[in-house]
Amino acid sequence: MEGEAVSLKGRVLVEGNATGKAVVVEALSFYGEVDPKTGTLNDGRSITGRVLVIGRPRGSTVGSYTIYGLKYYGKAPKAIIVENDADPILVAGAVLAGIPLVDRVMGALSAISDGDQVEVLSNGVVRVYKE
Amino acid sequence: MYLTREEERILAGEEGEAKAEALRIIVKVGEALGAERLVPIAHAHVSGISYGTIGDHGASLLEDLASRGARVAVPTTVNPVGYDAEDPGVLEKAGARITPEFVKGQSRILGALRRMGADLTLTCTPYYIPEVRGIPAGSSVAWGESNAILYANSVLGLRTNREGGPLALMAALTGRTYYWGMHLDQERVPQILYHVEGGILDEARAGVLGEIIATSHKGHRPPLVNARLRDEIALREFLAALGAAGSLAMAHIQGVTPEKPPEKPEERITISAKDLEERLDKYRPTGTPDVIFIGCPHAQASDVERLARLLRGAGRVRARVVVTLSKREYSRLLANNPRIIGDLSRMGVIIARDTCLIVSPFGQPGTRVATNSYKALFYLSKRGMKVSLAPLKDLARIAVEGV
Repeated sequence: MEGEAVSLKGRVLVEGNATGKAVVVEALSFYGEVDPKTGTLNDGRSITGRVLVIGRPRGSTVGSYTIYGLKYYGKAPKAIIVENDADPILVAGAVLAGIPLVDRVMGALSAISDGDQVEVLSNGVVRVYKE
Repeated sequence: MYLTREEERILAGEEGEAKAEALRIIVKVGEALGAERLVPIAHAHVSGISYGTIGDHGASLLEDLASRGARVAVPTTVNPVGYDAEDPGVLEKAGARITPEFVKGQSRILGALRRMGADLTLTCTPYYIPEVRGIPAGSSVAWGESNAILYANSVLGLRTNREGGPLALMAALTGRTYYWGMHLDQERVPQILYHVEGGILDEARAGVLGEIIATSHKGHRPPLVNARLRDEIALREFLAALGAAGSLAMAHIQGVTPEKPPEKPEERITISAKDLEERLDKYRPTGTPDVIFIGCPHAQASDVERLARLLRGAGRVRARVVVTLSKREYSRLLANNPRIIGDLSRMGVIIARDTCLIVSPFGQPGTRVATNSYKALFYLSKRGMKVSLAPLKDLARIAVEGV
């Protein structure tokens, strides 16, 4: 990949390699804030085929089913990275949907902006190529 | 995480791909939380299975698991759904709108759970099922449904975290959960004592006590509560309120909880009778409601018998009264008195199994509901309804005389 990369590292919860443009959300409840049938957030941004960057997960435990729903309807993000700790809702959903998940990625929110190209490696390294 | 040889075998798919996936979820969640190992469970209670919340994709996930051979490894019960499974139209008299599409979607979910071997009692009070009460105190279980979790830890001495979403089901399919949180002795030791002054608390006051503790408690250790709860309804409503208004999984109630509390808690907080009355003032009925709701969490047969005694001699009630309970308590009610349901029904009292007004498509913004359940108030208010709180004996009077 071209350009200068910022390299971050996190804890691997669901292993996988993925590359995509970033969509950054400070706090996210999958249930109520993501439409699994369209892959869009309440603010209209699409997470389908993107790398979803979350500051901290929150909200209803039904969220695990919503994450599975994104996969079921073909609208899943390529990977999910979390700056703080992933909660059980997110972990269960990512395993069910087979979406790579890395948490404890310190500095993710300040290093990554919407539209940046993000590469997630199976060892938990996250490379950020600024737009 | 440390895994036994048997757990390694399951993860490798030797007991089927569905069971391997279920265990992978439990292990990954345990790793994320920092659990060192897994713990066998004696029972599971699965919540979050309403078609209204998990939709077609949730139904498809459960059907997929069932088709791939997933079967429960321990006795498993299931939360209520959006309608009475044996009489889907019964709540329509109270204004619930149950569409054929909703019944079809929910039936898919229930069919998949049945194929997996779950007991479809469809109740939020699995703790009233005799077999569940027979599980020895100290056993680990995996329960969803906050009021049931509070009751399991606080009254039965069972050990469970708040297993929301698909986690209780995954624990049911594997017979295990992560050894973390409420399964550990030290996490169950209270640090703060709440001393409640004044007299005996009915269920409405017990509910606002639950709200006060849930919203002011610091830390995740169970609160130690010294309060005089009048009866089983007050105990149930206190725990349900605590579960609805906060994220605790247990309260250590003096004289109720089987475990021994520490002799000297680190902090002591006093709650006066005035504190409770002032909080209750916010919720007192101010006009005749459209619907009076009893049975959140699900009522016992004895509660319905008490309601029937309170209404004896009255004609038709002025506000629709809805009582929800499990099909087991419904059968017990009929066995005690075969005429009671017909008699209440003629007065305008609707009795529904398997469901409640929170999980059914009931009401609209502005619908006026009076209930003896703080938990029902908490959730129905979120849907824009005007909800008030009063104990059963006051609700019976309101049903007959209005406000």
